[in-house]
Amino acid sequence: MADPEDPAVRPRHQLGFTPGRPLPAERLYRRCDPAELPFALCSELEEASGLIGQERATEAIRFALRMRRKGYNVYALGMSGTGRHNMVEDLLRAEAGHAPTPPDWCYVNNFADPQQPRCLSLLPGRGATLAAAMKRLVEELRAALPAAFERDEYRVRREALDQQLKQRNEQAFGDVQQQAEKKGIALIRTPMGLALAPRQDGKVLTPDQFDVLPAEERERFRQEIERVNAELEAIMRQAPQWEREHRDAVQALNRETTGFAIAHLMEEMRAGFADLPEVARYLDAVESDVKENADDFLPAPPPEMPVPMPQQAIRALDDARFRRYQVNVVVDNGAQKGAPIIYEDNPTHQSLVGRVEHLVRFGALVTDFSLLVPGALHRANGGYLVLDAQKLLTGNFGWASLKRALNAGQIRIESLEQLLSMASTVSLAPAPIPLDVKIVLIGPPSLYYLLSAYDDEFPDLFKIAADFEDRVERDAETTLLYARLICAVARREKLRAFDRDAVARVVEQAARLVGDAGKLSTSMRAINGVLREADQLAADAGKDIIGAMEVQAAIDAQFRRGDRIYRRLQEEIGRGIIRIETDGTAIGQVNGLSVIGLGALSFGTPSRITAQVRLGRGEVVDIEREVELGGPLHSKGVLILSGFLGGRFGKNRPLSPNASLVFEQSYGGVDGDSASAAELMALLSALADAPIKQSFAVTGSVDQRGQIQAIGGVNEKIEGFFDSCRMKGFSGRQGVIIPAANVRHLMLRHDIVAAAAEGRFAVYPIDTIDQGLELLTGITPGEPDAGGDYPSGTLNQRIAACLDAFAAKAAELARNAGNGARP
Amino acid sequence: MSAPIERIFVILDAAAETSAAIAAAVRLAARSKTPLHAVFVEEEDLLSVAGLSVARHIVPGARSARLTGAEVELHWRAAAARARDDLMAAARAQMLRCSFEVVRGAAETVLAGVAKGDLVVAGARTRPFAGHLRVRSRWLAVLEAASGPFLLAQDGHGTKGGIVVLLRERSADSARLLQAAARLAEPGATPLTVIAPPALATARSFQKWIADQVEPGGVQPTIEAAPAATTALLHRVRELDCRVLAIDAATTERDRLAEITERFACDILVVR
Repeated sequence: MADPEDPAVRPRHQLGFTPGRPLPAERLYRRCDPAELPFALCSELEEASGLIGQERATEAIRFALRMRRKGYNVYALGMSGTGRHNMVEDLLRAEAGHAPTPPDWCYVNNFADPQQPRCLSLLPGRGATLAAAMKRLVEELRAALPAAFERDEYRVRREALDQQLKQRNEQAFGDVQQQAEKKGIALIRTPMGLALAPRQDGKVLTPDQFDVLPAEERERFRQEIERVNAELEAIMRQAPQWEREHRDAVQALNRETTGFAIAHLMEEMRAGFADLPEVARYLDAVESDVKENADDFLPAPPPEMPVPMPQQAIRALDDARFRRYQVNVVVDNGAQKGAPIIYEDNPTHQSLVGRVEHLVRFGALVTDFSLLVPGALHRANGGYLVLDAQKLLTGNFGWASLKRALNAGQIRIESLEQLLSMASTVSLAPAPIPLDVKIVLIGPPSLYYLLSAYDDEFPDLFKIAADFEDRVERDAETTLLYARLICAVARREKLRAFDRDAVARVVEQAARLVGDAGKLSTSMRAINGVLREADQLAADAGKDIIGAMEVQAAIDAQFRRGDRIYRRLQEEIGRGIIRIETDGTAIGQVNGLSVIGLGALSFGTPSRITAQVRLGRGEVVDIEREVELGGPLHSKGVLILSGFLGGRFGKNRPLSPNASLVFEQSYGGVDGDSASAAELMALLSALADAPIKQSFAVTGSVDQRGQIQAIGGVNEKIEGFFDSCRMKGFSGRQGVIIPAANVRHLMLRHDIVAAAAEGRFAVYPIDTIDQGLELLTGITPGEPDAGGDYPSGTLNQRIAACLDAFAAKAAELARNAGNGARP
Repeated sequence: MSAPIERIFVILDAAAETSAAIAAAVRLAARSKTPLHAVFVEEEDLLSVAGLSVARHIVPGARSARLTGAEVELHWRAAAARARDDLMAAARAQMLRCSFEVVRGAAETVLAGVAKGDLVVAGARTRPFAGHLRVRSRWLAVLEAASGPFLLAQDGHGTKGGIVVLLRERSADSARLLQAAARLAEPGATPLTVIAPPALATARSFQKWIADQVEPGGVQPTIEAAPAATTALLHRVRELDCRVLAIDAATTERDRLAEITERFACDILVVR
């Protein structure tokens, strides 16, 4: 739909200004009339409940929240300070309130493989109940099992088993010993084993005594020793089997005793979680483990050689025996009402997917399932996780881990070392937890577009873009809404009440922030700063109500705090160090305007643009580009000049002159095409040999047809030239030529508006390059006749004549060169 | 009255469970504030075995083979060094005066160094062989040749529990035993219980006799009548949390002594 403010669309008499004529002062600043505000103090208003003009983003987020399918996560893109966090939080809160509360998640020991802890899902609040019940169970087992093993029934049975083993050993060994002794064979314990040697009269025979024995006797000893040796070896082979049988029997007895002692405790536990089959299976495993490891619950026998140990270490060892029965409740939603909303401020790999912690025990790092620590994804599971996109991407492997979890639909706790295959030590591989979460990324648009372009997974995982407006239409409705927002901020931050003049000034500043008289900024961060600072200034002045004066003072103070460089530039212009002419005339020289952004502050500053022409091959040389100070957009603007020259003057004649353009005293990079109109005017002035009034500055881009197009930063540029004129001295003839399309953006400072009203300064909108040239030179540009010739004395005729002269000279030189003549 | 303990004389060798003997000796020396002297015995019998071509040496996990003199010497040196280090470390911890010597000869010859006033300590058991198989400690045999108090250490680390004296009669030997037990009980005011046959235990004269055997103002023994059944006696001794069981000379016949060491895990005090 055509914009009625567009000069190309709207009839000239309806524009409210005439291109080429000074703008009336009221067009330089769109006031917010306090009289139209229906309140005296903003505190009378009802607070605004949301943000202004974010219907598109709101709708997108609401849709994403309803959509529970995979990949419908949200990227909330918008400029910083547009209230994305608050709005996302409000929308999530509204949705989360009536969403079901997600389950608790616990990690428990996997008795079959402790390296792979199991996870349990329980109804909200039941995780902590299970943990407490298991703790109680262990305490009860520590009392019940020693008592069971102390009972006579057990002791008698155990002693019988021990006795059985002992008897077996003794029987077998005793028989051999007895037989050996009868046959005169001594069994002697050596440091390493057992020696068999002949004995007589209770003494082992010495070699000499043995050697004098009869041969038969020696042989008898030899045979007996061999026989005893064989029997002993048989016993030694048999002994381990007896040991094993004894161990098995003791273990069976222990299991039986334990089973009997813990049966009622386990039954109580099972009854408490009968509705949860997973927990029941876990309790079965616990019971089996307790039966297998009943010794852990019995008082430890005193060590053979006591090692002095601090009590703390003894307690730690004691606790370690029962850690495997703990329940690590990684997500406890017992106190949660509805779905959780988690904001993770430091979204790294570990903070998202959790981590495996370690304990130092006797110099070694040890871990188990109880040291698994949940991440933000665990806490947000079943709800919403809000992340800052920039922090996520710069966070340590946060983005990669988040994508992996979303793609897999599960959260797997693993250390970064494991993830990167940098550690080969044995660690835990906990069972993954199913993931059902809605992610809301909040970030700048640039990041969204980069991710869309370069990350293949991003479009699949973040299907919903919630695009936040940085500005809204300025009308009576939004103005009132703005007033209500101011009211909300004032109440929330306990600021003084703003009167209607103050509110009107804030609204005007909101328009200035977006550089558009017809729009209002949605960036509440900057506005909030003004409100808070105005409140402080009112407090300093002892006022109870904040008026326009405090708001204006706050705005001025904000600019003043950051304008050191700007003031320095203006001072150098005033002292002539930076050469800017604000009066008189010059051929081929125009005051261009540029905007410099330093931190939060943007300001405009004039630059002299000069052009030189000479005989050549019809090329326009952009000196900025030649020295690599010109950006691509600037170069494009300069090339458009060539196109304009060719289109207007090159149909009937060759374009022979070479031209060069430069930003004088510019030592940094130049980009953008907002100076292309000024450059063209300087070039045409040089070709026409027509002096340009230096009391003007020009901004605007030009197309190949000579039409002037809108540019950015028009307010800053005008203010910059106005301040330069102030430094050099006002002449009453000074002003700025701007694209007519930028008139709607004007929200100039009050001193400029006042100067315009008094005729000391003027802003001239133009649609075409000819309108600008006429203003600058005072010479009529002229329209071409049917033959393409311009009326005599017009600017265009002078340009055409210059070009003809260059062409003739070029032709002459070419002829002379063809005839072998030397110049 | 028996002479007070002037020195703890601990006998060690490569076959016995030296840790029990060292711990008991150090504990007794610390309590009685007496010096400690250790003798590591390299029994010559083993060298004889090494010299016999017919003798076999069985080592768990390996085929039986001949034992060589070099092997014996090597293992003696290692065992002696280990015993010395363990003893010195334990003595240092208690700040005891301690000496150590290595003697080669028959097991009985070591007793030649025992002086009056010495309390001899030796391990009651040999180190187990192939798990649970134990040959009888040679010190049970040596004990027969000893005179004076002799402690067979089994439970060297026990620091609690009382001393139980089993008396069958009122004799000079019984008196010496009781006096020796009272000496052990005194430094820490350890409970001392005398168990005697009911007829004896209840006799007023026996009680007076008992009182006469102990130092006035020292540990006063409790007298109990022994249960009729042996198992009940065993049970009672266990109930008393017995750390040292003192038995009279008549019980010290080698096989009987071996049986007692099997039945009780506590240290056994014998006086000959």
